Amino acid sequence: MNYPVWDVPILGSSLVIAIVAIMHVFISHFAVGGGFFLPLMERAALRRGRRDWLAVLRSHSKFFLVVTGVFGTVTGVGIWFAIGLGSSPATSTLIHYWVFGWGMEWCVFVVELATIAAYYYLWDRVSDATHVKLGWLYAVSSWLTLLIINGILTFMLTPTDAWVEAAGKPEATFLFWHAFFNPTYFPSLVIRTLICGSMAAVWAFVTVARLDSAQHGDLKRELAAWTRQWLLPAFILLPLAVVWYVLEVPGAQREILFRGVATAAQGQFTVATRMVMITMLASMATVVTAFLFTDRRNAPDFSLHGALAVALLAFIAFGTSEAAREMLRKPYVIGGYMYSNGVRVSDVEQYNQRGYLTSSFLAAGASPAERGELMFQGQCLSCHTLDGYRPVRRLLAARNREAIDNLLKVLHEHKPDSPYRAYMPPLVGTDEEIAALRDYLVGLNP
Amino acid sequence: MLRLQPYVQSIAEWTDERLSLRRLMAYARAKQVPHHRHTFWYYWGGTSLFLFLVQAVTGVLLLVYYRPGPEAYDSVRHITNEVQFGWLMRSIHAWSATLLLAAVLVHMFSVFFMKAYRRPREFGWWTGLLLLGVGMVFGFSGYLLPMDELALCATRVGLSLPEIVPGVSKLLTVVVRGGTDVGVATVQRFFVLHAVILPAVFLPLVAAHLFLVQKHGNALPPSEEAKPEAERRTVPFVPHFMMRDMAAWVVVFTVLSMLAALHPWKLGPQADPLAAAPPGIHPEWYFMSQFAALKLIGMVLPGTLGEVVGLGLFGLGMLVWGLVPLLDPEGAPLSRGRWMTRFGVAAVGGLTLLTLLGYWLA
Repeated sequence: MNYPVWDVPILGSSLVIAIVAIMHVFISHFAVGGGFFLPLMERAALRRGRRDWLAVLRSHSKFFLVVTGVFGTVTGVGIWFAIGLGSSPATSTLIHYWVFGWGMEWCVFVVELATIAAYYYLWDRVSDATHVKLGWLYAVSSWLTLLIINGILTFMLTPTDAWVEAAGKPEATFLFWHAFFNPTYFPSLVIRTLICGSMAAVWAFVTVARLDSAQHGDLKRELAAWTRQWLLPAFILLPLAVVWYVLEVPGAQREILFRGVATAAQGQFTVATRMVMITMLASMATVVTAFLFTDRRNAPDFSLHGALAVALLAFIAFGTSEAAREMLRKPYVIGGYMYSNGVRVSDVEQYNQRGYLTSSFLAAGASPAERGELMFQGQCLSCHTLDGYRPVRRLLAARNREAIDNLLKVLHEHKPDSPYRAYMPPLVGTDEEIAALRDYLVGLNP
Repeated sequence: MLRLQPYVQSIAEWTDERLSLRRLMAYARAKQVPHHRHTFWYYWGGTSLFLFLVQAVTGVLLLVYYRPGPEAYDSVRHITNEVQFGWLMRSIHAWSATLLLAAVLVHMFSVFFMKAYRRPREFGWWTGLLLLGVGMVFGFSGYLLPMDELALCATRVGLSLPEIVPGVSKLLTVVVRGGTDVGVATVQRFFVLHAVILPAVFLPLVAAHLFLVQKHGNALPPSEEAKPEAERRTVPFVPHFMMRDMAAWVVVFTVLSMLAALHPWKLGPQADPLAAAPPGIHPEWYFMSQFAALKLIGMVLPGTLGEVVGLGLFGLGMLVWGLVPLLDPEGAPLSRGRWMTRFGVAAVGGLTLLTLLGYWLA
């Protein structure tokens, strides 16, 4: 426990991270998919000699620049801010082991920002061919950011045994590419690339819907039809890509999903399973709704309400899929290396023998009651809150002192048959520290 | 090769001769829906209807296992924990009730602001208000059926309010509660009300409401009515608007499924008539504004007097709301129309504020 605690009442730091991250991925995947959408639509418009398409595309590129360049960037920084405060040990690991990865990402990110600005500001100032090339340069650089960030994200779920063994030693440095191209790298890349294409359509609908129906009814019909095709690759191929991804996920994590599926009828499934169910439903709903709203008879009257409804469904689909992916990583934040509360797997024994708070500057001179609260802040607060999201006070309300003692014992022993083992990290610390935590938890419901 | 067309043709003709389906289709194709910048508000009636259908289907499925009376709680526990997908049906039933009332409220206020209660749609307004009232009684009666701790306490509080009206107390004891306190007899009464009497009232009302909508068509907001006829646009109901309606239903179904799956409706501990009410007990959101208003009035006028004044004000409010088509008829002076709109804005703001205040007070 070497970092100050970020206590976010009601929401909890984990939910703050999730909210910021889901907003970011919803925009960043648009930034990548839309990157291909721009030059491809421009090329299609030029081939058909449709200057009216180009006028719409120009307006869309401004919308694109503002949404991705401002909101995408701000939420990207927001993720760093949130994980830096809410999950400091994991962020430290990501910075230390992936510093060159982040460096590469930063380089292509600069190219990405520069080219999209040039793409928008150079409309009608360079030749059509050069403008399309600028669009392609943006598309490739934005896809490269995905290529890099995907390596780091998938590493957190499947860092490979070799890397986990070498972590903390100089050898880990030489395993950069090994950990980067980890087992879930390629299926995840395919999934995210397909989603990027869908996001391009979902956001382009907003531009199409804003066209005046009375003046541009036929244009709206054509553009809506051209745009909605972008939903189809993901709709058809995503199920296959997801199966590939799930097959590459380690057995223990996959169990979280499949145990849930097997008991879904009784309602005893896991949150991850429920999230996946909603992902499937919302994905289908996105496509169905988009096709109903943009059917050739309705397309001229396709309204902003309709476009926002499609975006809402896509947001639900994407948000729940990201949440499910995060849940598959439990009880780790970095698979097999670091638990979700920032405790390294390799440090568990040491903490149990010498104490969790021993080396913490926050615990210096703390009373037993304060040490109990520090144990709670260090080991529980990264996933729970007192009274809001996953509320500990309510979850323990029906337990007396003895029951809480037993629960902490089960969490501490972390036996293979423990019902909590699949989702929760082991409780670490000496008997005295665990007793202090128990007294603190008992005091929550006097 | 077998030619199916003659067979299909003859089946279609045989059916049409008996059911006049072609006339029905021709009527549906002829129906037009106004298209303007407020068209969005036309979806809420259809959305309410869709949610009612969800209520009916899930309600029938729950009926298969639900047992009113002494076994009420156990049967709901059985549905929630053991019956295949029982938890989901119960959760969808409860969430769709909440969304249904929300959709009906949006529909009602959009009708109000479009002044769609004016001639010849007065009966549309009145049947709609009756549907809202019956819907709220549906919600209140359904809330007790699981017979968990919260259900018992909330129903006790809800039924205690009308008791202050002279003569109602005995009626409540004999007819509604089946005793001096909420218990097994009340659950049996509420079940009959929820599953037999209310549907018997609700369905003809829905039919009448839909008939009136078909008869008079969708109303135009005043801003559209002011336009010359040549500038007004319409779209065919079949298939144009129907496809959009279906899209709206898909959106609502997805949101409903998300709520039901990610926040399954809880079943609390079994009701204990002798136990004290749990802290922070409050009614469902659609009764929250009344709850907050009574609390506020109670601060100024404590005791029975406050409750009598509160109930009197509710009665007066409902009466004025019901008389809206007569207070602001077609051809009324513009100033009256404007005052009525301000009254509507105050009603929306007041209800929202009181609901939020209710949660804060609870």
